[in-house]
Amino acid sequence: MSKPTDLVQGTLDILILRTITHEPMHGWGIAQRIQIVSNNVLQVRQGALYPALHRLEQQGWIRAQWGDSENNRRAKFYSLTKAGQKYFEKEQANWERLSSAIGLVLDAAES
Amino acid sequence: MRWLTKISLRLRSLFHRAHVDGELHSELRFHLEQQIAVNIAAGMPPAEAQREAMRNFGGVESLKEECRDMRKVNWIQDLGQDLRFGMRMLRKSPSFTIVAIFTLALGIGANTAIFSMVDWLALRPLPVQKPAQLAFLGFSLPSNSGNGERFDANFSNVELQDIRNQTGKIFSDVAGYCFGGVAGDTTSADGLTVNGITKPVQNVYVTGNFFTMMGIRPLLGRLILPSEGRVAGANPVVVISYRYWMSRFNGDTAIVGKNASLNGHPVTIVGIAAKGFVGITPILETQIYLPLGMAAVNQAHVRDFMGDPKVRRLLILGRERPGVSLEEAQAVLTVVGRRLLKQYPREEHESALHAYALRPPGIMNGENPIPKAAFVFLTLAGFVLILACINVANLLLVRATVRQREMAVRSALGAGRGRLVRQLLTESLLLALFGCVAGIIAGIAGSRALTAIPIQTELPLLLDFQPDWRVFAYAFTAALLTGIFVGIAPAIRASRGNLNAILHEGDRASTGKRQRVRGALVAMQVAGSLMLLIVAGLFVRSLQGVTHADLGFVPQHVLNLTVDPHEIGYSAKQGMSFYRGLLERVRVLPGIQSASLAAIVPLGDTIIGDGLRIPGRQLKKGEAQPNADMNEVSPDYFNTMRIRILRGRDFTSADSETAPHVAVINEAMAKKFWADENPVGRQFIRASDPRNQITIIGLVKNSRMVDLYSPFDECFFVPIAQSYSSSATLQVRTIGAPESVARPIAQLIDSIAPAMPVVGIRTMTKALSGLNGLFLFQIGAGLASVLGLLGLTLAVVGIFGVMSYTASQRTHEIGIRMALGAQPEQILFMICRQGFYIAAAGLALGICAAFGIGQLLGDFLIGVKPTDSLTYAGVSVLLTAAVLLSCYIPARRAMRVDPMVALRHE
Repeated sequence: MSKPTDLVQGTLDILILRTITHEPMHGWGIAQRIQIVSNNVLQVRQGALYPALHRLEQQGWIRAQWGDSENNRRAKFYSLTKAGQKYFEKEQANWERLSSAIGLVLDAAES
Repeated sequence: MRWLTKISLRLRSLFHRAHVDGELHSELRFHLEQQIAVNIAAGMPPAEAQREAMRNFGGVESLKEECRDMRKVNWIQDLGQDLRFGMRMLRKSPSFTIVAIFTLALGIGANTAIFSMVDWLALRPLPVQKPAQLAFLGFSLPSNSGNGERFDANFSNVELQDIRNQTGKIFSDVAGYCFGGVAGDTTSADGLTVNGITKPVQNVYVTGNFFTMMGIRPLLGRLILPSEGRVAGANPVVVISYRYWMSRFNGDTAIVGKNASLNGHPVTIVGIAAKGFVGITPILETQIYLPLGMAAVNQAHVRDFMGDPKVRRLLILGRERPGVSLEEAQAVLTVVGRRLLKQYPREEHESALHAYALRPPGIMNGENPIPKAAFVFLTLAGFVLILACINVANLLLVRATVRQREMAVRSALGAGRGRLVRQLLTESLLLALFGCVAGIIAGIAGSRALTAIPIQTELPLLLDFQPDWRVFAYAFTAALLTGIFVGIAPAIRASRGNLNAILHEGDRASTGKRQRVRGALVAMQVAGSLMLLIVAGLFVRSLQGVTHADLGFVPQHVLNLTVDPHEIGYSAKQGMSFYRGLLERVRVLPGIQSASLAAIVPLGDTIIGDGLRIPGRQLKKGEAQPNADMNEVSPDYFNTMRIRILRGRDFTSADSETAPHVAVINEAMAKKFWADENPVGRQFIRASDPRNQITIIGLVKNSRMVDLYSPFDECFFVPIAQSYSSSATLQVRTIGAPESVARPIAQLIDSIAPAMPVVGIRTMTKALSGLNGLFLFQIGAGLASVLGLLGLTLAVVGIFGVMSYTASQRTHEIGIRMALGAQPEQILFMICRQGFYIAAAGLALGICAAFGIGQLLGDFLIGVKPTDSLTYAGVSVLLTAAVLLSCYIPARRAMRVDPMVALRHE
């Protein structure tokens, strides 16, 4: 895979939710983290990231708070709400079911 | 608690928009700065680091817009913004706005006015409790023509009691009622005397349970009680309708409890019915209510009104029990009907008893023409609205062209296409909304004007075209559709422009395609207005036909005055002597040629007739008893009306009560019963008066009696002295203007019989415009003409506008052509040619449309075919002339263009 894959909507949602599970993060941090953790395979562009963040916030899955960044700048930090936690678990289970199912189909096709 | 968070977030975005937007800005700013920092760390010089980060980031404004969209409440803010902006744009070009709103108001107004008529005549539920449960009963009759249901809905009181006792399973209540007065079975009006003043009223006799069954409460006093009305003559009480109370007694509360008299019989006014209740046939206003038993007093000639099962004067209403299915109800009614027919035989022994839904305009035997007429006129009004829409759409298209640059700039600044369309649609919807408000006002004014037309009738017709929520909903829906219709094409066009091309293009941005769209729209306008004009032409020709038809009598110089001695309690003997005295004294008044009495005025509200038996003529088996129209007249009638006596003689004063009974018959009757033989001297017997053999003493020319267009009915005339009618119209033929003798005659009547109301004082010429006369033709022609003229105006304005615009857009081209040697006439021809094509296409289309709608008109046209070639040709010529004229003016202007000016025109 030479080019970073564009993220399908929905997939981006669970990546964001997963990324902020443990600590609140700002938009820039979320994008960087996803890129690093995925070994530069997944690049989140701001054109997709910020609308997604605002949508998740409006739906009540995440909550935003202003805080100071690592270099002492004001930044908007996103953290998971309780409802968001549940939603994430459900989506993760869905995702695992889906990917293992796809895996099964692909394996069967090979043999 | 998620929903709480959601709501608070949305409220925050709605009411703290600036703050929320500021946050969004800092958030994205922070992201950008982080990127710059990373770039610098990677070794870029600061300026390049910043440029690279910005380039990478993309369009900040469109990203912000996307984030805002996520807030879900954005559309509210957008709408507010669009509305504010739309208002500003409309204010900025007031002439455009006024023209557009005025045009739409014409279209919507025409629709509102016509719909409010349809609403009153056919849609508004009856003003009673749960009107959908009400049904009336009738024995079905075979329908001989058309699609209307025919039935015999008359029952006797005895039958009513039987039905009530046997239908408890399906009806929670059963009531009977009987019209009195002019709308009743007799031709005589009923007079209500209060404080010594008698006025004719429309009354209804009801069973005691009528008001409780209708769910009507008294406004004052009480209504008729369930215990009342069972015995003939008992309970002499009167309940007055709210409208009548207001119009005759000015809402005087002291009227309750007053003694009054109806046709000379003492009664007591006991109450006023609730405000909105205008009776169960709202189009014919019921003014007073009496218990059923009082009908017996008033119909003294009927032997046993309450007890004779063959005196069938009642209509029966049932309130269906909730949950009873149609089949169940019908099963019960079939059994009851069969039993009734066995017990009290009728002519139609094979038919079944049915329950018919009681809907406006009331009980109507045979075909109901209202839905069809409503459909025709709503379609015509719809076409007017479409024409108006096309005009406004054309204006908006021109504006869209002008505003293309504005739109290009907007989309360059980050506005999405959907957002642009939404904004433009908001503008056109705003226009439509203003047009709607103006249209409703125009429509109300229009329907007021319609109700103000005097109808030549003594019936208390109630034309209450007040707009209700249905009318408003209709107008609003029309406006909404209009807004979308006129706005969508220009909006999409304006938002679609190619950015680059538009920003670089000059003002000469008119492509051939756009011109074609506009041309097609104008051709449609020509077609629509042609169709409207053809329909108007057909209606007008139909009216002309009936207006100039030979009536068989001469209406000019005749004055009618109607009196009814019965209203003040005169007996037949008293009435006859009153009439004799009146005739004697009227004949000697100055300016009078002749005077006579007649029970029936031609084309008036009522007709009477009788069954006939002709001695020596046997009915074939299964043949129904023949009948004929009749009129009761005084001597000199044929002279006054100028109905030609073909054979025999007129009545004289010698043909009195005691003399042998005589009659004069018309040609149709002579032809039917005596073919080519001389009928004078022949004899016949009236079914209602079997003891007196009547000798025919004269034959008169056919004359119009019932309507203006049917084949002449058989008709006979008898002396009023031998067949008394209490209600009679005094007809006088005058030397000068007939109106001039009205006052002396009214004074004369007052001197002979004070307190006798005189109604229907009008010339015979005017009386022809009654409900059965010209009225409907005049209304139809009037409405169709107004719609046709509206259509023509809109089409001419539309063509003129488009041609002017086209010519001005082509100024540059015209300049070049003229510089290259084109003659002004060639330019004129060039511009006019386009108009000519449009007219030709429009005419072809319009003629097809007119043929289509003509199929619906057959029933409403008399003496003219829906495909009348004269109308088609005349209207086509008229419209072509109008189109060419509206092309010629802009073309002439283009022809006079100075090439130098034109070439510099930019």
